[in-house]
Amino acid sequence: MSATAATPRTVTLTIDGTTVEAAENATIWEAARDAGIEIPVLCHDERYDPVGVCRVCAVDVGQRVLAAACVRTVEDGMEVRTVGEQVEAQRRTLVRLLMADQPAPADDPKETTTADNELLALARRYDAIEHGLPDGEGRPTDASNPVIETHHGACILCDRCVRACDDVQGNDVIGRTGKGYETRIAFDLDAPMGESSCVSCGECVAACPTGALVNKPISVPIRPRQELTQVDTVCPYCGVGCALTYHVDEEKNAIVFAEGREQPGSQRRLCVKGRYGWDYAMSPQRLTQPLIRRDEHYPKGALSADVRGEGRGRRKPGGVVDYGEVMPAFRETSWEEALDLVGERLGAIKDAHGAEALAGFGSAKCSNEEAYLFQKLIRAGFGTNNVDHCTRLCHASSVAALLEGIGSGAVTTTYGDIVNADVAMLAGTNTTANHPVASSFFKQARRRGTTLIVVDPRRERIADHADIYCQVKPGTDVAFFNGLLHEVIALGLVDADYVAARTTGFDELRAVVEAYPAERASQICGIPAETIREVARLWGEASAGVIYWGMGMSQHTTGTDNCRCLIALCAITGNVGKPGAGLHPLRGQNNVQGASDSGLIPMMYPDYQRVDDAGAQARFEEAWGRELSSTPGLTVTEIIGAALTKQVKGMYMLGENPFLSDPNINKVRKGLANLEFLVVQDIFLTETAEFADVVLPASSYMEKEGTFTNTDRRVQLAQPVLEAPGEARRDFELIQEISNRIGLPMDYESPREVFDELAGLGASLDRLTYDNLGPAGKLYPNPDPETSDGIAVLFDESFPTANGKAKLVGAEWLPARELPDDDYPFVLNTGRLLEHWHTGSMTRRSYALDAIAPEAHVWINPDDAAELGIAHGDFVTVESRRGSVELSAEVSHREDRGNVFIPFHFREAAANVLTIDELDPHGKIPEFKFCAVRVTPADGATSP
Amino acid sequence: MSGREARAGRFPGPSLIPALHAIQREHGWLPSEALVELSRETRRPLYEIQGLVSFYPHFRTGGPAAPVEIGVCRDLACWLRRDQAAIDPETLYANEDAVSVCQLSCLGRCDVAPAAVVNERPVSLSAADEVEAAVAAAREGRLGHAAALIPKRTWPTDPYAEEDGAGGYRVARKALAGGLDLDGAVAELKASNLRGMGGAGFPTGLKWGLVRAEEATPKYVICNADESEPGTFKDRQILAELPHLVLEGLLLGMLAVGAEQGWVFIRHEYEPEERVIRAELEQMRTEGLLGDDVLGSGQTLEIEVFVSPGGYILGEETALIECMEGHRGEPRNKPPFPGTHGLWDKPTLMNSVETFAAVPAILERGADWWRAQGAGDADGLKFFAVSGHVETPGVYCVPLGTPTGELIELAGGVSGARPMGAVQPGGASSNFLGPDALEVPLDFDALPKAGSMLGSGALVVMDDSTDLLAAATNVLGFFRQESCGKCVPCRVGSQKAETILAELLERGGGPADVDARIEELEETMRLTSICGLGQVALGPVLSVVSLDKSPR
Repeated sequence: MSATAATPRTVTLTIDGTTVEAAENATIWEAARDAGIEIPVLCHDERYDPVGVCRVCAVDVGQRVLAAACVRTVEDGMEVRTVGEQVEAQRRTLVRLLMADQPAPADDPKETTTADNELLALARRYDAIEHGLPDGEGRPTDASNPVIETHHGACILCDRCVRACDDVQGNDVIGRTGKGYETRIAFDLDAPMGESSCVSCGECVAACPTGALVNKPISVPIRPRQELTQVDTVCPYCGVGCALTYHVDEEKNAIVFAEGREQPGSQRRLCVKGRYGWDYAMSPQRLTQPLIRRDEHYPKGALSADVRGEGRGRRKPGGVVDYGEVMPAFRETSWEEALDLVGERLGAIKDAHGAEALAGFGSAKCSNEEAYLFQKLIRAGFGTNNVDHCTRLCHASSVAALLEGIGSGAVTTTYGDIVNADVAMLAGTNTTANHPVASSFFKQARRRGTTLIVVDPRRERIADHADIYCQVKPGTDVAFFNGLLHEVIALGLVDADYVAARTTGFDELRAVVEAYPAERASQICGIPAETIREVARLWGEASAGVIYWGMGMSQHTTGTDNCRCLIALCAITGNVGKPGAGLHPLRGQNNVQGASDSGLIPMMYPDYQRVDDAGAQARFEEAWGRELSSTPGLTVTEIIGAALTKQVKGMYMLGENPFLSDPNINKVRKGLANLEFLVVQDIFLTETAEFADVVLPASSYMEKEGTFTNTDRRVQLAQPVLEAPGEARRDFELIQEISNRIGLPMDYESPREVFDELAGLGASLDRLTYDNLGPAGKLYPNPDPETSDGIAVLFDESFPTANGKAKLVGAEWLPARELPDDDYPFVLNTGRLLEHWHTGSMTRRSYALDAIAPEAHVWINPDDAAELGIAHGDFVTVESRRGSVELSAEVSHREDRGNVFIPFHFREAAANVLTIDELDPHGKIPEFKFCAVRVTPADGATSP
Repeated sequence: MSGREARAGRFPGPSLIPALHAIQREHGWLPSEALVELSRETRRPLYEIQGLVSFYPHFRTGGPAAPVEIGVCRDLACWLRRDQAAIDPETLYANEDAVSVCQLSCLGRCDVAPAAVVNERPVSLSAADEVEAAVAAAREGRLGHAAALIPKRTWPTDPYAEEDGAGGYRVARKALAGGLDLDGAVAELKASNLRGMGGAGFPTGLKWGLVRAEEATPKYVICNADESEPGTFKDRQILAELPHLVLEGLLLGMLAVGAEQGWVFIRHEYEPEERVIRAELEQMRTEGLLGDDVLGSGQTLEIEVFVSPGGYILGEETALIECMEGHRGEPRNKPPFPGTHGLWDKPTLMNSVETFAAVPAILERGADWWRAQGAGDADGLKFFAVSGHVETPGVYCVPLGTPTGELIELAGGVSGARPMGAVQPGGASSNFLGPDALEVPLDFDALPKAGSMLGSGALVVMDDSTDLLAAATNVLGFFRQESCGKCVPCRVGSQKAETILAELLERGGGPADVDARIEELEETMRLTSICGLGQVALGPVLSVVSLDKSPR
């Protein structure tokens, strides 16, 4: 796959009399563009393969008929005329034909919003506004989607939206329906857009040249783009880190709309959250004033019925903290009083009980600079390593296995590198929901020839694109992958040279997987033995194979073992260190990679230098001028446990919401209430803030500068977009304010200064600066950021382990901790929805996302539902040994029999009331993906 | 990917069209629940299914069919003979729920115009009793298949005509036995000057040679039996009367280019003829001419019938290929041509029924014999469908180059011995010629000189009472109806032009009132449409305008 492409042959032709050289497979349009000659187009866009349907690019090539330049390839000796009376006359007639069926410019949905209708621009150029032809009779408008309007009357059937939806995003919703003049675009089986399988990514809107597909206003009215300010930044949601531009109405301090921006990874694509989910920052519920808990609300406890656990059975959709219910427990105060109180109380706990009684949760939604400052404050200011963040809940086990196996916790290659893979395995990742833009590259690669193998107990949308879909039984991944390892070895498909030169531990691995022939693996995981062998053969014979995985692998008590298997599978087939091959845990949060890199984990300083390594300790003591603890700190789940036992008494919570995100909420509730002092710094009153003594109103992502590192290791600079509301302040300032009050003076003027300090403390960010990141950011490691995007594929020669080799670690299959039984016969799986983010504090305050997915559901197989007498939409009770929730049933073929799924975003039916707080012994990650529940019809009515 | 068309809705994977046919057979229509289930089971998107079921007229989505469905042809040959109708189903059955009446595009039964179908079975509206009997039978669910019309006669292109079937497939057998040099056969076809009889007239030998020279494999050969242009029905009779020649020509094409798989793509309205072809294929199989190791040659040869789900556009070769691949039948941008990038992107030889049927005789009797069959400067023989205002509409085989007037005389002359008003010598896409065309030889070169073309071999005759602008507008209406909608000039241009002309006719206007907009639209459609349909759609209208201007 890495062979250099042969130099393409060129041909010589003339375009408008000028002699031009062009690649032999170039189109006339491309050759003309390269020669500086513009040929008008409507249906064509360089991002898509051509269709040649609008014919506006017609040129004369000396034949009986004209040629469509966008789709016609150049030929040697061709004489092309792109201008001239005859060609221009045809273009005029074509544009007039289209204008005849269009709405009047004054009523045009695009002209009256962004004012960049490409057809109208051509109509003006070709004097075609007055078309002189019989007017069309108009066509209907479809306003059923919350954020997109479809005006069939303004559609010219250029097929750009079809290609955007089907070829680029791989969502496969839009096509042509009907025939001849009656042809229209349609969604699914000609359903209204809002009732179709459309995921509202808005790629079609971005593609549409006319007013046919337009955005509805979300915040303030949509205005022409030249009247707005463009801010180039990065999406605040997931680890894919799509580059985007916000179009901002500065006067109203409002984002008006968002568009994807060029960047090597995301290539202008966005998903529904990125394109439409930004208005949370403008929510009237933003905190604008520091808050102190009123005396009468001690002893502390939850303030709302939902958080107390009394909201059971609430059947009204919509769920953010009810400010009317919670806010009276707090009084507004000044920054001085609030910050002094924080310093004083945390200081007092430290003095009375020692540093280990303190802990801090940082956030993977904050920047590298903020993560760095936060852990510096906890370590050098508080004097403890009790600092962690939600990486513990997502990829801690992946990182544990990767550090053990290959000496680096980051991805070894990018998501876009799938294009170079013969075979790609997607394991335990609901990628279309959780990394939608990355998934679009996966789907596209498959269409271009990569064999896609999907391994997941849930038949999610990506499974529809798989060449082979393996619907494993929950909690049997190690058995499945050991079966693959066994068969790869048995089939003689091991890359012996690679194993010898690049790995250790092969014999031990082989001894472990010896006991997992396909037949035995099949008995455990439920995948037919012949399928296991087929996958093993495909994988072993691939010249490049890559594995992308998600929380379906990591969030198990065997999470580290699952990932060890993946590492072994890549390593024994030589699939790390070359294009199209490697290991890629798809990161969840927009900066979970960066926060971990910056030391926001209890056992590591920045750049994964261990706190119990004397050399590292000495380096950081010198850098920070404080004595540091050599004891690795507690993890997220351990800290909550320690709060329960009152070992941890004071906490600084920056942007985390453990009440909803941690397992076994009934336990979390007690732990949080137990804390002597809790300061919560956030942009909204969260469920966790109900337990706070002090609440600090922070800046949102939209209001600050900083760097964010995506799943590919791409470090990108985010820019302030809006002014912060009220007295809300930047996290960067607040960390310093608190640090200064507990005896660790900080005086950074800008995040840039912090970045330089961070980059100087480890090798990864070496050579990167704010100035050389550029508009698209840079991958690390990057030996020459001035000229290079960075290194996509790592470890082509050796691994950053002590001996330079990968360590193969075999794992025996172990069952999950709480297996289904007669009382609790179903396996509960939890996860996310496309439209929502984690605890919903942002997305449930986004108009679009809340409108599309307003309420909690439990997914259940149709046969199971039928057996239980449950119909689609019925309210059901889901109960585990730890608690129960009520929510409506989503009867779906995507769920296998015996399994149910609940997304964890919804406070009114919080999945984590049910989950078990058993941990993976290495990564300390909870088993979010497996616990036993029962499902029963709830009393009373169906969903409202 | 530069220069090659985007898939734009053309989803990869096996065609869903057979599965859709199966659902329709089961339910009588396509309920959306069944389509959703198909999508889930095949993991193919719903939009793809929607694109197909809304494109092909054969598919029914609105609900089950009425027990009796009468489809009345609205196109030129039937329109010219509308006064011959002895029955008007639309008014006769207006109040009957069990009977629905709709208008259809040309049924390929112009010889019995005005034509209709009752539950797909062809009838002539000139025979009221025939229609009423068919309707009665359909009501009771006992309407059987119609038999193909096979008169007792022989044709000069059939080398086996005198042998009563005994010598069939002699040329193919010779080729399979190694007795026919395939390069020589292609050279013979070149020397014969045989040209494609489907309308475009591309030299057949040249086409065979090009596909034979292609290195990519596998290769495919397709017989285009989808003639659907108003006035055109000569392939129908060749299929019915000379199926052995069609299939032998196809088989020879497969041998010549090195293909193992061949297809006959036949329009679904030709169900009687389809059964003739299927029977002939059975016969071939019995004789060992199909299957593995055919006649001990080591060669695998398979021929299948592919029944069109409907639409004139599928006669366009790349639209036909799109349909066979399971997509909407929208023509591709060309180049590349099917000879290099055809079915499933493989080299594909496609000829029409008449072209294939001519091959055995040429290879048996030689190129010189074939050329000598022509009249004047023209080479070979030609089948013509003659319809419209003639006494005996039907299919005639005459020397290429026969004067127009002679062919009309063969068909009994203009109906009622009226003077000729105009003819379309080559089907709906050919320009109208006036009375002075009677002398013009019907061949590939003389007709273009006279301002028209040989086209699809359909001579439609109009007497002097015909409103020629209305006739040409009827032809435009056919093209508008059959436009696939892919490209702007054809999709919108045909509709706007028809609207303009309909208004003009409505207010009693004539050719002199046709304004410059029609000329502009004709030019744009001719120069910028993706395929021939849009390129020719307005030609007949303009030809009527210029006939009107020319001195009488």
